[in-house]
Amino acid sequence: MEAIVNRKIKQVMKGDQNAFNDIVEIYKDKVFQICFRMIGSRAEAEDLAQETFIRAYVNIWSFKQERKFSSWLYRIATNLCIDRIRKKKPDFYLDAEISGTEGLTLYSTVPAEGKLPEMQVETLEMQEMIQREILKLPEKYRIIIVLKYIEELSLNEISEMLDIPLGTVKTRIHRGREALRKQLGKL
Amino acid sequence: MDACSERMILYMHEYLDEDIPEDHKKILEHHLETCRACRQHFYELKKSIFYVQSLPNIQAPPGFASRVMDKLPKEKKRVGARR
Repeated sequence: MEAIVNRKIKQVMKGDQNAFNDIVEIYKDKVFQICFRMIGSRAEAEDLAQETFIRAYVNIWSFKQERKFSSWLYRIATNLCIDRIRKKKPDFYLDAEISGTEGLTLYSTVPAEGKLPEMQVETLEMQEMIQREILKLPEKYRIIIVLKYIEELSLNEISEMLDIPLGTVKTRIHRGREALRKQLGKL
Repeated sequence: MDACSERMILYMHEYLDEDIPEDHKKILEHHLETCRACRQHFYELKKSIFYVQSLPNIQAPPGFASRVMDKLPKEKKRVGARR
């Protein structure tokens, strides 16, 4: 995968815009998912994910091929998400709850038919609840919880990607887990 | 409930990070056998992680890539051709 991506990047650097389309196709779901779990709104996540790819395209010259492209790309995405969170008004949590609910309903993988209605509601409610708890985390914990438990990156990868010492990543994931435990652990 | 030592909670997190020294692991295991509050704490931590991991994978909306491509700064050639 890395070899294919690096070849595509070289083509993009040479001015082949179509090669970038393939890169977007490869990474769009991962980038969108990071943004959605960080922000909680489908519309905002699309906006942020688009911006991530546009910035990656414009700054592709600064990408060093000895690094992992995915890490470089996710770093752009997480920076944009954090900027967005910081710019939000204090009523952000209320907004996020409403828009998050809408996004999850639209994007739920619960099958539309063939399941008991009660089961569906229960599952959706749970998903929304879990998402709300993630959104309540301070962004520096949230980002690490999302990268570790949703994107399944290792703590070393996260440390390298965010350019934060491993010890700090550990402290933050510990605090993030304790914060989640207070709500989710009681269910 | 919260009476247990910070040290045991630290060991729990080391365990969850899969980065626990063998001696810490032994101490933690032994402690969990005897301390109900810590067992509960550890269980709640694991449950929280399970819930986060159980969230469904989300996909980018249809047409996402083409919307990105439309927004990219145009290549010089194309700008020239349009004029």
